[in-house]
Amino acid sequence: MASTIDAVKGSYVLELMENGTREDGRSLLDFREITIEKGVIPNAEGSARVKLGNTTVLVGIKADIDSPMKDKPDEGNLMVSAELLPLASKNYEPGPPGEDAIELARVVDRGIRAQNMIDLKSLFIEKDKVWSIFIDVYVLNYDGNLFDASYIAAVAALNNTKIPKYEDEKLNRSETTQLKLNGIVTSCTFAKLAGKVVLDPTGNEESVMSARVTISNDENSIRSMQKGLSGSFTQNELEELISVSFEKSKELRDKIGN
Amino acid sequence: MNRVVVPGEVLAEKPLRIDNSFVDGEKTVSSVLGMFDEQRMSLIPLEGLWYPRKGDSVIGVIDEARMSSYNVDLNAPYKGMIIAKFTKENLRRGDVVEALVRGIDDTKVVILSSPRRLSGGKVMDIKPSKVPRVIGKEKGMLKQLISGTKANIMVGMNGRIWIHGGDIKLATEAILKIEKEAHTSGLTERIRSMFPAGSAEEQTEQEGVPENKE
Amino acid sequence: MGGSGEKPQLIKEGKRLDGRAFDQLRPLKIEANVLKNAAGSAYLEWGNNKVLAAVFGPKEALPKHTQDPDKAVIKCRYSMAPFSSIEGHGRSGQNRRAIEISKVTREVFEKAVMLDYFPGNEIEIFIEILQSDGGTRVAGITAASVALASSGIPMYDLPYAVSVGKVGEDVILDLNMIEDNYSDADMPVAIAPRSNEVLLLQMDGSLTKEQFSKGMEYIKNAGKFISAEQRRALSAPYETSAAKYEGKQ
Repeated sequence: MASTIDAVKGSYVLELMENGTREDGRSLLDFREITIEKGVIPNAEGSARVKLGNTTVLVGIKADIDSPMKDKPDEGNLMVSAELLPLASKNYEPGPPGEDAIELARVVDRGIRAQNMIDLKSLFIEKDKVWSIFIDVYVLNYDGNLFDASYIAAVAALNNTKIPKYEDEKLNRSETTQLKLNGIVTSCTFAKLAGKVVLDPTGNEESVMSARVTISNDENSIRSMQKGLSGSFTQNELEELISVSFEKSKELRDKIGN
Repeated sequence: MNRVVVPGEVLAEKPLRIDNSFVDGEKTVSSVLGMFDEQRMSLIPLEGLWYPRKGDSVIGVIDEARMSSYNVDLNAPYKGMIIAKFTKENLRRGDVVEALVRGIDDTKVVILSSPRRLSGGKVMDIKPSKVPRVIGKEKGMLKQLISGTKANIMVGMNGRIWIHGGDIKLATEAILKIEKEAHTSGLTERIRSMFPAGSAEEQTEQEGVPENKE
Repeated sequence: MGGSGEKPQLIKEGKRLDGRAFDQLRPLKIEANVLKNAAGSAYLEWGNNKVLAAVFGPKEALPKHTQDPDKAVIKCRYSMAPFSSIEGHGRSGQNRRAIEISKVTREVFEKAVMLDYFPGNEIEIFIEILQSDGGTRVAGITAASVALASSGIPMYDLPYAVSVGKVGEDVILDLNMIEDNYSDADMPVAIAPRSNEVLLLQMDGSLTKEQFSKGMEYIKNAGKFISAEQRRALSAPYETSAAKYEGKQ
């Protein structure tokens, strides 16, 4: 339950919103500053740390030899997990992933899969032997909008993922090849508060939002959507947000690409 | 003309005060599955819950006896409370009481007054929405139940019924039948036919709710 | 999405594999109050989906730390029976998919139910998928709506849910399992029918903005039929038995 202090911050944010302003002075449909550092965990096959304002997300990627899923014998595996670390927020508790972490992981997973970012057939090695790609999202600091930060970090990490060499039944992690990707998927998360819709909500804004929607897309198509919380959107609002999302994703793709 | 309405169904294109409805902009909207009488503008829920109102007579079971108050189970999403200094009864956990709703506090605790302990007998719970039918117009159905079964029967608005003496089994059967067929007409006749011939004509002088003889 | 093996031809000569038009629902039938011990319940058959939904409460929320002193909390559990799929034996229990669906389903009803009436209480919603054939989450939400209303819990609206998807460039309504497995997009949506507000929105695959809008139109049109069936399920027991007894008078 929100403490009194949090409640005061929340009502401050709502008051600002009545006048169409935000606590950090941004306009309603702007992202906070984004910094992307790739390759921060050299032991991992790929990694990236992303800061979105004060929100910090680290994604590490490992590749392992595995057996394929029974129903897809000619494809590799992709597994996205998310951890809301207790050090990231006083509201996060140790233990197995709760529904928020599961939702975060599954929404990122869906966008990457829908984009076919990784050609899973290319991860086939030989009969009963494929690569499994593990994408682990670690939330290090919470200040709102974990969805977009996680998307950016996961995609940036995939962008610098190198698959080890497999020869003579052995993994050789010193010889690697770049993981091939099909395009880039990014997301835009919108929050509804005081009847207005903002892009990239902060933690304080999220504490008083009534509804949230995450739209992921590439240049041409929406790739995934997820509405959250008990509030609602109208069809018109969603259509507008889809347009904003297409517009804003250009910036994000440029940032990740470099 | 009565019609069945569901939650979210518009009752009127103007804002009106009708129980179990709410106003959304210029519209009055049903919040329950209910029977709507367009002429009398009344909406009676067909299922569910009891919403305490001042003056409601309820039957509860003492949950916890404390120094200054008693907690009362009302078979409802609301807790009942009797303030000890307002009653002479010395109540214990498990006691059945009849009481009146005095008010509802901010935390939705139902404050009860004038508790009366009901000794012996049996307690049954029915859907609170069926209570008006068990009592009937001018208590007709309840009088018929009492004369037909020779039992003392008290009906709480919270859907809890206390039955004492007489043919408890027959009374239970009749009440369950009323609960099941509450929305149908001709029910009084069908209940009368359950009772031994002649018993229903023996209209007792006692008013529907009998005195507790303990 | 996620189908394996050769992709079947899902659309032939403008018709779907089961003969439906693009904007046509599968047969839908709902029955209210089918369980004795629940405060409210519903059984739903939608195509080959068979779904049971039950509501318990309002009752004191336990454990106590889950209580909200201002309103009731909703606890929701969506679950698929291990024998429910035409494919292999499913893993029962709350996997990640079920946990996510339980969450988004709960959020639909947090908006629709008048929670302020029951501070400190909980309302439990159980959705059991007994047989699955695509679109189980929207079937579960549609059934749970009826279960809630049949319990007498006051509500602002009676939500319905249905999904749309895309095969090639064609937008189609109410995907069955095989369409779901091989479609190019899937978008389950829940709507509050009075305001047409969107209460649940998920999507994956590939969709243009125009296809999104077309899908929403399909959903709102289908919603008229789904809402009517929900209404029929709730009111039928009262209308038929009332007529039966009135005939005797």
